[in-house]
Amino acid sequence: MSCKFNPADVQGNILRGYRKPRVRYLMLEISDRAAARRWLTAATSGTGGVPQIATESGQRWATKPDTCFNIGLTFEGLRALGTPAASLATFPTEFVQGMNKRAIKLGDAGPSAPENWEQPFNEPARVHLIASIYADDVAQLDRVQHDAVGGQQAFKLLRVRDGWCFDGDYVHFNYQDNISQPRFAEIHDRDSFSDSQPMAPLGTALLGYPTNFEGLKWRIPEPEPLGYNGSFNAFRVLEQDVVGFEEYLTAAATELLEHPKVNELLPPGAEANIQVKEGQRLPRHDALREVIAAAMCGRWRNGVPLALSPDTPNPSPDVSRTKFDYTNFDDDGAARCPYGAHIRRCNPRGGQIVQRVANHSRRLVRRGMPYGPAYVHDPAKPRDPNEPKRGLLGNFIGANLGAQFEAMSCDWLNLGLQDPRITGSNDPLLGANEPETSWFDLPLKSGAPIRLRGLPRFVTTKGGAYTFLPSMAAIRYLGSLTG
Amino acid sequence: MARNGTKTKAEGGTSQKGWFDWLGDKLDQWVDWLATTKPFAFIAGRILVPYWAWRTPVKRLEGGPRPSVQPGDNVQRMMNLVMPLKDKSAVGRALAALAIAQNKDEIYAGLDNVGTVHFARFVIVDDNICMFSVYDGDFSNYIRDFIVTIGSVFDAVVELVEGGEDVIPSAKHVEKFIDWVHDHDIYQVSDVATDILRDQEEANGDAGAGNDDLRLLPRKLILQLNVNRNVSLGSGYRAYPGYSAAQVRQQFGVGW
Repeated sequence: MSCKFNPADVQGNILRGYRKPRVRYLMLEISDRAAARRWLTAATSGTGGVPQIATESGQRWATKPDTCFNIGLTFEGLRALGTPAASLATFPTEFVQGMNKRAIKLGDAGPSAPENWEQPFNEPARVHLIASIYADDVAQLDRVQHDAVGGQQAFKLLRVRDGWCFDGDYVHFNYQDNISQPRFAEIHDRDSFSDSQPMAPLGTALLGYPTNFEGLKWRIPEPEPLGYNGSFNAFRVLEQDVVGFEEYLTAAATELLEHPKVNELLPPGAEANIQVKEGQRLPRHDALREVIAAAMCGRWRNGVPLALSPDTPNPSPDVSRTKFDYTNFDDDGAARCPYGAHIRRCNPRGGQIVQRVANHSRRLVRRGMPYGPAYVHDPAKPRDPNEPKRGLLGNFIGANLGAQFEAMSCDWLNLGLQDPRITGSNDPLLGANEPETSWFDLPLKSGAPIRLRGLPRFVTTKGGAYTFLPSMAAIRYLGSLTG
Repeated sequence: MARNGTKTKAEGGTSQKGWFDWLGDKLDQWVDWLATTKPFAFIAGRILVPYWAWRTPVKRLEGGPRPSVQPGDNVQRMMNLVMPLKDKSAVGRALAALAIAQNKDEIYAGLDNVGTVHFARFVIVDDNICMFSVYDGDFSNYIRDFIVTIGSVFDAVVELVEGGEDVIPSAKHVEKFIDWVHDHDIYQVSDVATDILRDQEEANGDAGAGNDDLRLLPRKLILQLNVNRNVSLGSGYRAYPGYSAAQVRQQFGVGW
């Protein structure tokens, strides 16, 4: 089969985001194989009342659709559809085993362990299909959900989960998110933001194309119509302890105030450079909280990267949010962005790493939206035991789960193998941290860093599944299966 | 009843053993001795074990280090590849020796670029070419990076191994190659004796059963070694546990 890129064959949520304010996930179990196949066929053309699956166009939307509907299938889902055994045997091991079985690699232990996951992910054999609906409002979500799964025999609806964007792409922990994504030469938005990282080959996200490793291609599931133009997704329900995070910043800032080298981290008077609201001068303790929050992420909470603006979230002139690398140092050689900061650990860009061949190779397309109400930190208010659940519904998309999502999770996010200065520590925001052993270094220009300890686990996995994001040809193939 | 001595003590107030205990001890000694005799060893090894194995099929356990979230367990991990040569003669062994010798410089340079390898050696044991290495981090990442750096060179070695033709060139069969290598990485018997029971439960889809009847351990170990013929005993000794190759290099100032 030709590798010529045909955008209309690719589901629309892979290569670019819809930038819709609301999302709903439907977790489905196939209860009638024949009906499910008919449903899939109908979804490719939007006939019989089933919502049409949104595809890539490669072009800018002429008019943006009100809603976008997409699907992913687990290995159990492919089996439930009656995919032939010879074909199932061509799928990669991690997908066959499923996210639950790969828990240790992903740091999903203790409170994040699969035995503690929420329904339906505690019964992975029943999670067959995860459909996503992107829309502007709840009424649209309800309508598409009704069209998709109302009054039909094919599926049992196991659970519905909603996410929504806060103003200005902020997420829980109050950081701006959704800033940097792999750019593809084939997609129009490549020029809408500048980035010092090389353009991502299509094989970063799609099966059948050159990958980030020269001369190396991932196995394409067979037969050809099933595999080509497909992708894999790690869907994650990540609960965030927003109160715990703010409490930690407060405690760490209090500790830093007493630290003999605190003036090196934040020179006296430099708090004036750290404005959260325009014109508002933060007390020193609050400014230190922001310094710590920025170091942990690698970006100030407004998204300004430390690599370009280590001293202030409000640089003048303004700096790019995306065009930076970790190859530049200050004159004295100090790192502007901590080696262990979240964005640097998960994507070290062109910076020096231990695994010399791995730069740019573990990149992921990330599509996530928060759930639960936005949290406004009020230090005067005690922790509410009935604090609503908050977190992120995340999709981590790539052509090879093992080489991208898992590789990033097990050696970089946790463990920190990419840099000897952070090896043995976990990601300060997302890592599987235990207060007794966790640490995070704040670099100082004079050399030895200030080491923060006692970081708890701020993010707990509550569920998830590895799904295959089939091409339109693949969905037609699956719909046409017999027996 | 009397053999444990408590009854005797209670009855007579002395710890003297009766003739029944004496006979029991003698019987124990006789059974222990019996196990060392050639006929009995033959019966046990050639008849009893195959019969057990037939009655209680045991699944082959996966190779490699045990999965762990502890950072210290995820550095200095041992890989013990035992790969049976196609040609089981001195000629076959010589071909394997030459394949390593011809590519040694490239393989070593490649391992250097992988960045996470402490040590690696190639050894011929009987009709197997073995690669023993100590690496940091995830196994799949190690092998994938290995393929990217020196896959084409290593293919010359894999070609000499049974079944190797199905997974080369490795750059075109990355996923299959990783699974194949994993399949040749031998089982590492845990440092904790009862962990083998956990591994067996896991392999049988019975995780969490937690049957720790130690009397079953020797039988279970025998049956496991009947399926996993080559094993690593424990995860091995480390002189400086918990440090990655890059940390050691950085400490010595030799660049990482």
